[in-house]
Amino acid sequence: MTVRMRFPAGPELPIDEVLPPDGETPLAVGDERIVDFLTLVARRLLAPALARRHPELGSLGFFLRRRELLRAVERLHGALDPQDLAFPRGTVFHIPPANVDTIFVYSWALSALAGNVNVVRVSPRSAAAAETILEVLNDSLAEADPVVARTQRMITYGHDDEVTARLSAACDVRVVWGGDRAVNAVRRHRLAPAARDLTFPDRTSFAALSVAGWAAASPSARQEAVVNFVNDAYWFDQAACSSPRAVFLVGDARRAEAVQTEFVALLGVAARDRGWEVDAAMAVEKRVGVYGLAADGGVTRMAFPDNLVATLDLATPAAAPREWLGTGTFGFVPVAELAGLVSFVRRQDQTLTHFGFEAEELRELARQLGGRGIDRIVPFGAALRFAPIWDGYDLFREFVRLVTVEA
Amino acid sequence: MLTEVFTLRQAEKEARLRDELVELVAHHRRNCPPYDQILAALGAEREPATLADLPWLPVRLFKTRKLASVPDDQVIRVLTSSGTTGDVSRIHLDREAAATQSRMLARTLGTVLGPRRLPMVVVDRSGVVGDRRSYSARGAGALGMVNFGRDHLWLLDADDRPDVAALKDFLARHGDAPFLIFGFTFMVWRYLYEVARDHGLDLSQGILVHSGGWKKLVDQAVDNAEFRRRLGADTGLTRIHNFYGMVEQIGTVFLEGPDGGSLYCPDFADVIIRDPVTWQEAPVGRPGLIEVISNLPTSYPGNVLLTEDLGVVHGVDDGHWPGKRFGVLGRLPRAEARGCSDTYPGGR
Repeated sequence: MTVRMRFPAGPELPIDEVLPPDGETPLAVGDERIVDFLTLVARRLLAPALARRHPELGSLGFFLRRRELLRAVERLHGALDPQDLAFPRGTVFHIPPANVDTIFVYSWALSALAGNVNVVRVSPRSAAAAETILEVLNDSLAEADPVVARTQRMITYGHDDEVTARLSAACDVRVVWGGDRAVNAVRRHRLAPAARDLTFPDRTSFAALSVAGWAAASPSARQEAVVNFVNDAYWFDQAACSSPRAVFLVGDARRAEAVQTEFVALLGVAARDRGWEVDAAMAVEKRVGVYGLAADGGVTRMAFPDNLVATLDLATPAAAPREWLGTGTFGFVPVAELAGLVSFVRRQDQTLTHFGFEAEELRELARQLGGRGIDRIVPFGAALRFAPIWDGYDLFREFVRLVTVEA
Repeated sequence: MLTEVFTLRQAEKEARLRDELVELVAHHRRNCPPYDQILAALGAEREPATLADLPWLPVRLFKTRKLASVPDDQVIRVLTSSGTTGDVSRIHLDREAAATQSRMLARTLGTVLGPRRLPMVVVDRSGVVGDRRSYSARGAGALGMVNFGRDHLWLLDADDRPDVAALKDFLARHGDAPFLIFGFTFMVWRYLYEVARDHGLDLSQGILVHSGGWKKLVDQAVDNAEFRRRLGADTGLTRIHNFYGMVEQIGTVFLEGPDGGSLYCPDFADVIIRDPVTWQEAPVGRPGLIEVISNLPTSYPGNVLLTEDLGVVHGVDDGHWPGKRFGVLGRLPRAEARGCSDTYPGGR
């Protein structure tokens, strides 16, 4: 039972030698040695040559800047009462998704910042950006304190249940990304009684476009909105949990159709200009998905102007697709006001991206939803921007334990 | 070679099929509400002027939705196809549709097999049909074909080894008059061709009907032409008919003609090659996705289906039989998305 050591890079290692020997956790919350290391990594990720090759690593680099890290630590301490002390939870085992290359770093970095010993399973199917990140991490190790290499481990192994079982039994927190199937599969492996799971199940996301806001926006603002929307939708083939699947046209229904027409036209142009492509296999996939949804009813019109963009006019918000229908497939449905979404939203719904609304309208929607679904309401273009508060968790807070001292 | 079903020139076929299919589309719309919803959403209200204008369904839709045009109590058989990903097409047949499909399959194959049942070699093991556990396209294919023969020899033993002695015995009894050979293309190559060649067996009276594609023979550089050439040169087998068909259009097979190299469409069926970017009909010689058209399906809306196979039209009204001649070039890869979900297939 061995695993491949990706960080620190090394030979195959028996699973029992991956975790440092039991004993006191050698790191503190916000440990300076970890902050230094992450800062080094951030600097390398933000190097222009790298950021050009993998733009998504640029946002990761920003996320890991020293100022951001220190702010997270300060925010935690600021929220504590004077008698409460924060400590690392211990050992955290991360199982990130294979096909979103950067998630494992966000998840790991916050946990490392919290002072934990970390073991991250990097999927054997991980793509080029993941390899680049691992290179950067390993390259940064030479200048780092040796405690980093001793406590932070990234490993790759196949579908070896025994490894997953062993690490599950040994950890204090297990972080499982990758949707319902992944969560259910991993949950078959027991945690220690005091340990806990942080799970990221299947989520779906939508977009809200204010009809009045669109009308008030300048042509360039509209264009920019569409470009942002295209990034949200196409970056992960519209299959990321926060990629919008449908657009709610909020406002005067009589004016919504014209807004939709203009939006879709701009969308096709922007997607093409950004270099996105939909090949024949994906084009067929979309037909299978969209025709299936139409077979279920609730689709009044579907159109395939080209392979990049398919549009579905939905009879009601309830017909909006929650399953993935193929890259570049967008439902549209008019709703009179944001409050009209409340009865539609479920726990599964994660992100609502928006354009053309007032902040107070959006906060009012959140209040009406009451946390029953939709964990993030963010502008067009921010759907995929990872934040330390994700899926309703304050991740950093989840990675520490509190000790109370009353005199 | 007398034929009942390879008779129509393209223009006449298209005119007849168009009228029949307009009727069938209307029939399915009346009787299959999900199909009607799809066509309504497509805005398919104008009557199609040509075959190419008929609305098609992606064939995989039969794996994700139940689509039937007859009430459940009239369904006598539900055919299933196992897909590579585990999802399965479900094709609902009533009594009439089941009878029609087997009658039309018999007429199509009768063109090359003649009216009587021939002694038959099945290049498979007998267990492949009855074995529910490993129920497969192989089993279903063999099951559909065994009715066209008699005195069957199942060439392979339980461990998929060819039984050479039994084959010699079969040829001693039946080898000097026409006999039928059926098998999947790669199995015919691996288990029949090589054995017959190595043992110097004479298959010159055989009529081979095979299907399944060339993917497994690619690494041996065997394509249709090489397959025919080597079988002819090394075993004397020259009457070779590849066919293309799918459970979603059961009873319809596109059959390689006596001239070899091209598949022909029976009178009640046609193909259209579509450009996967413009979705327009591709001209002769330009590859695209194969759309299959047949007037057989009456109990489910499977008359016009877009497959995930790539093909090319070789010619029209210029071959051994009238109508379109085409070839199958391979399969479209399955689309894969990035995204957050499904990363841990471990522990099935």
